Amino acid sequence: MVRLENVGLRYGHGPEVLRDISFVLAPGEFRFLTGPSGAGKTSLLRLLFLSLAPTRGFMSVFGQDTTQIGRSDLPLLRRRIGIVFQEFRLLDHLTTYENVALPLRVAGLAEEKYRADVMELLKWVGLAEQARVMPQVLSGGEKQRAAIARAVIAKPQLLLADEPTGNVDPALAKRLLRLFLELNRLGTTVLIATHDTQLIAQARMPVMTLEQGELRLAA
Amino acid sequence: MSMSEKTSHRPEPIIPPKAAPLRTLVMAMAVMCYLAVLAAGGLVLINRSVEAWTGDLEREITVQVREVAGRNMEEDLAKAAAILQATPGILKVTVLDEKAAIELLEPWIGGIDGLEDLPVPRLIAVEIDPDHPPDFAALDTQLRNEVPGVSLDTHKRWQAELTRMARVLTTLAYAILVLIGICAVAIVIFATRAALEANREVVEVLHLVGARDSFIARQVWGRFLKTGLTAGIIGLILGILTFFLAAGAAPESFAAISREFLSLTSAKLLQNYLVLLAVPLVATLICLITSRVTLMRILKSLR
Repeated sequence: MVRLENVGLRYGHGPEVLRDISFVLAPGEFRFLTGPSGAGKTSLLRLLFLSLAPTRGFMSVFGQDTTQIGRSDLPLLRRRIGIVFQEFRLLDHLTTYENVALPLRVAGLAEEKYRADVMELLKWVGLAEQARVMPQVLSGGEKQRAAIARAVIAKPQLLLADEPTGNVDPALAKRLLRLFLELNRLGTTVLIATHDTQLIAQARMPVMTLEQGELRLAA
Repeated sequence: MSMSEKTSHRPEPIIPPKAAPLRTLVMAMAVMCYLAVLAAGGLVLINRSVEAWTGDLEREITVQVREVAGRNMEEDLAKAAAILQATPGILKVTVLDEKAAIELLEPWIGGIDGLEDLPVPRLIAVEIDPDHPPDFAALDTQLRNEVPGVSLDTHKRWQAELTRMARVLTTLAYAILVLIGICAVAIVIFATRAALEANREVVEVLHLVGARDSFIARQVWGRFLKTGLTAGIIGLILGILTFFLAAGAAPESFAAISREFLSLTSAKLLQNYLVLLAVPLVATLICLITSRVTLMRILKSLR
């Protein structure tokens, strides 16, 4: 699914924010990525999401060498990846329902085909009542759930999430974890960057730790 | 009402419709279209006017007979008239009498008593068949051989002057149209950039959820279509109004041509209005093509 060998990343002429990162994420795996703030978790997720290119080393996603991936290949590859940003990145002029349905709409699906699925997912993440409201009136936790719903609605092969439970209470975090585990059970490879030790303990899945740009694998 | 029923309405546009740069674009493009209508209409009017004026000149030539010592003017006039009448391609020959010749001079030298005693050249107005004109060179030679002091004025010099003036004005009108076109392209490029900048976050999110550039371009296609058409129609209406106003204020000969140009019963109705209708169509095309090319180029620069 994902392979990194001695990958390094630097922004412009600055110091390397990621150094000699090597790991393999096999299809169907579930892993956590943790580490202190500023360790490079978000940068690593952006690399995997193909919005950054490594400055050195080898990286492949879905078996494709990323140096060989052209700009025109990106849309189709990104449709296979779901991503939850720390800052949510919801569109303010669209309702919660429309934000969640966006990946399906962009993929060219007719609304009749996805309406029921989107509503079901909104119910699952506890946003059915907020389906028609704009993101401005949602709380931080609600926005986060909407962002998660948008990332998983198209049943991606790879799910990347940056602090997906950062703004929700433990009960809801547990519910969201169940959603991720369920997706994983259905075949989605999941990588979750988080500080939430409780979440990691509950899931009992392998953890990778990033410290000062270097990666450590732990059971 | 259940949620699924509520959301069955048409989805919101993915790119927010309240893009201020496009309102400014309508205004700027409307001005461009107005100028283009004036230039295009002016182009047609110039050509029609010159056609009408040179047409009049083509239908008539003038033969001038100067007084030559020892010759009888009236006999020379009759002789020249007879030659003219016998020439094929000539429809009508009118010998202007002495009084008419003096009257023609009056605007130049004023009413002077005793002008009859001076050797005033006499004129023969000749109406010719414009479709089968006579051989002017042969006619000139024949007249000169038979009647000394005769000269033939085919108005060719005036026609050439008019045609040259028309050509200069026509070239100028085309150049203005090209400049307006270039200016319109530049305006659309600026507006597209501004509209995209205003929606940068939306475009980034669309890319992140796997939207192709062509999908993003399609989201704003309709808006540029509407912008071009609205601006074109505003420019067209203002332009036609200006022509009506100008037709009322212009000198009679030009006003008549302007009125005929705008008249709904004119024989060239379709042709006249097609020239003007081309303006909003071209404006819309400029809007669509330029915005698409600009958009795709900017989107390509984003990852």
